[in-house]
Amino acid sequence: MSELEVQATLSRGERSRSRGRRVTPFEVLAVVVALFLLVAGLLPGLLAPGDPLGIDPAAAFQPPSPAHWFGTDESGRDIWTRVVHGAGTSLVIGFAATAIGLGVGLVLGTIAGMLGPAVDFSVNRLLEVLFAFPGLLLALLFILIFGPGVWTATVAVGLSASPGYARIIRGQLLAVRRSSFVEAATVLGRTRRQLLLRHILPNTLAPLFVLGTLGVGQAIVWASALSYLGLGAQPPAAEWGAMLSAGRTYLTTAWWMSFFPGLVIVLTAVAATVLGRAIERRARYA
Amino acid sequence: MRQRASTLLIALAAVSALGLTGCSPASVTPSASSTPVSGGTLTYASGDAEPSCLDPHVGGNYPQALIATQYLESLVSRNDKGAIIPWLATSWKESADGLTWDFTLRDGVTFTDGTPFDAAAVQANIAHVQDPATGSSTGYLALQKITSTEAVSPQVVRLHLSAPDSALLESLSQVWVAMESPTALKRTQDENCASPVGTGPFMVTKWVKQDSVTLVRNDDYTQGPADSAHTGPAYLDSIVWKFIPDSASRYAALQSGQVDVIDNAQPDTIVQAEKSDQIAHLDAPRPGASNRIELNSGKAPFNDPLVREAFIRSANIDAAVKSLFFDTTKRSTSALSSAEALAVSRPDLFGYDPDQANQLLDAAGWTKRDADGFRVKDGKRLTVVFPVSTNQSIPAEQSLFEQLQATAKQTGFDVQLTPMDLSSWYGALAANDYNAVSAPYTKVGPDVLRILYHSDGITPAPSGYFANLAQVDDPKLDALLTQAAKTSDPDARADLYTKAQNRLLEGFYLLPLYDQQNHYLYRTTVKGLRALPTVSTPTFYDAWLAA
Repeated sequence: MSELEVQATLSRGERSRSRGRRVTPFEVLAVVVALFLLVAGLLPGLLAPGDPLGIDPAAAFQPPSPAHWFGTDESGRDIWTRVVHGAGTSLVIGFAATAIGLGVGLVLGTIAGMLGPAVDFSVNRLLEVLFAFPGLLLALLFILIFGPGVWTATVAVGLSASPGYARIIRGQLLAVRRSSFVEAATVLGRTRRQLLLRHILPNTLAPLFVLGTLGVGQAIVWASALSYLGLGAQPPAAEWGAMLSAGRTYLTTAWWMSFFPGLVIVLTAVAATVLGRAIERRARYA
Repeated sequence: MRQRASTLLIALAAVSALGLTGCSPASVTPSASSTPVSGGTLTYASGDAEPSCLDPHVGGNYPQALIATQYLESLVSRNDKGAIIPWLATSWKESADGLTWDFTLRDGVTFTDGTPFDAAAVQANIAHVQDPATGSSTGYLALQKITSTEAVSPQVVRLHLSAPDSALLESLSQVWVAMESPTALKRTQDENCASPVGTGPFMVTKWVKQDSVTLVRNDDYTQGPADSAHTGPAYLDSIVWKFIPDSASRYAALQSGQVDVIDNAQPDTIVQAEKSDQIAHLDAPRPGASNRIELNSGKAPFNDPLVREAFIRSANIDAAVKSLFFDTTKRSTSALSSAEALAVSRPDLFGYDPDQANQLLDAAGWTKRDADGFRVKDGKRLTVVFPVSTNQSIPAEQSLFEQLQATAKQTGFDVQLTPMDLSSWYGALAANDYNAVSAPYTKVGPDVLRILYHSDGITPAPSGYFANLAQVDDPKLDALLTQAAKTSDPDARADLYTKAQNRLLEGFYLLPLYDQQNHYLYRTTVKGLRALPTVSTPTFYDAWLAA
């Protein structure tokens, strides 16, 4: 990077610094949604003390009311309770799938970036093959082989997100590897292991935090999509996608059965996206 | 960027799925005219699984019966009083010993490929159903007692039986043993499955898999079963038979007028439709068995009658039926459909009684409970594996199973519901990998009890399907059912079936739910639609479209 380019970059950063730091109302909302989900996920009983699986056939199909904020479903289960208790499942799926995706991506990306051109070439061809399939299709294939369920769906979502992570990590790794401080460390005679652990990886992982935040939202949406198709969480589990799917049958007579689970899926995805972008902006200009 | 875009896309898709609501089209004034008019194409949307073969001899399930009723005909039919009436056979005679039957066939009938319908054709059809290579289950079991056939003359066919069969005419009225062109049957099974040839009012002309079958009017058709409203060809030019598995989409298509008739209507939409003046409801409960949950007595834990009774007592079916079916059906406590005159109902055996269920389980040795509240015995949890066919159970029924799961949990049963597509479900049954299952079985008359609960039914039919899913192996019950099937005296037959049903129900092998639901919704522009009183499939022979 020439001196001129560095200066240009710096001045651009200077100009947008104030804009980058200002907290927008959307970000506040996103934080509120994220906090709500976190509380719902960790301590669902605090927000909804009822049993998400407890049936009450006499109270089936009740529209939203003070007694049942989000109404009741076909078996008289309280939808507010189920949405709140479903947060835990969704968050676990979201975080676990992202962790799997990042983990696999990190391993593949590191192998490609560190072990020389021949390995890089092979890993890249493998990634290209995986990229040829849309992510959800890969997930469907995985579920077809291992059968539907929460954990297969989680692994499936994680695996299908991993090629994207691997490619970004590889690119980042190659860029860091060529930077002058790594060159300096190489000249000082550091081993490859020291280089990777002390210099390259720490500088590669920072952007992953942003990717991860965006990824959790995406993983939750994907897992809900799989449950909606009957391939993830199985009924009567309180899971948003499964609830949306169950409510679809009664869309014309009991809209609340699908509206509220759908709403939280959308809010979660939007909140994760807004938060991810916010962190990205701050990370870049910090 | 890529990631964010796709996240938003999926979020958008979720939002648009939410926005999908049924919209009512402009009101249509019903035609005042009641004179049938010819012409037009009717669109039917089925929620049943798309058959893999359009020849109902092969396998033999209800989806096949629904469509085959339009292009195949049987030797006899049944009227709405339950009496057997002429169709392709004009008369029949049973010998004094009940071992031979002579059927006189209607003159001048030809299959739509030009092959004449005669005694040889009947022989070829019975041989086809009985041939193991055909892989028939329903038809095969219905014709089990026929040992040989004989063409007395071109118009008279004689059937020889191994034992008297009081259910023979009822069996022959079913579309699973309907008559197909012997010329067409000589083709490969794949060809015959794609375009079976019958004598019916319509013929199969095109089958676009995963989408629709096109049926075109048979212009040479002369007459239907004896209770038809008219003679001569059908009124409709053609029928487009679509497959729309999703019940909400199916109903939306009916509301918007894209389709004229749907089957497998959801209870909530039936209630909604009954308020509409554009959509009408035809309720035709299927004959044969009621919809029930079979408890697999062939393996633990349901090999213990106490556990079976405990399971039945811990299921609150009445409340579930009330909440999910909006009074579109009633609770059944019989093994047979309410359409069967000989059905025995035993409300005393199937009430919800958790206290008694707990006592029974204690008595059966399931005394301990694990951390999740399920009962355990010898380190094993009281688990009920329950595969659910999503093709055969409408969503309301699947919800009913979820409610059963929740109430049975209170007594300590771990009911594991597994939704499956039809072929995985058949696979689970064939592997004996189930403790409870709900499997519809339709057959005309009480002889269905023999097929479902005689110990012979544990042996698979050529298709690999075995009908005795409760795996009832009771010599006394076998004897009663065998005797009943041989007895043609109405009073003696009724007495035997009553005894057999009481013995079966008191053994707690099954948990009756309600009649096999068979609700059709149709636009009021469709006139003359009725369900054939044999297996309650709709027939479009008398149907016409009002302008």
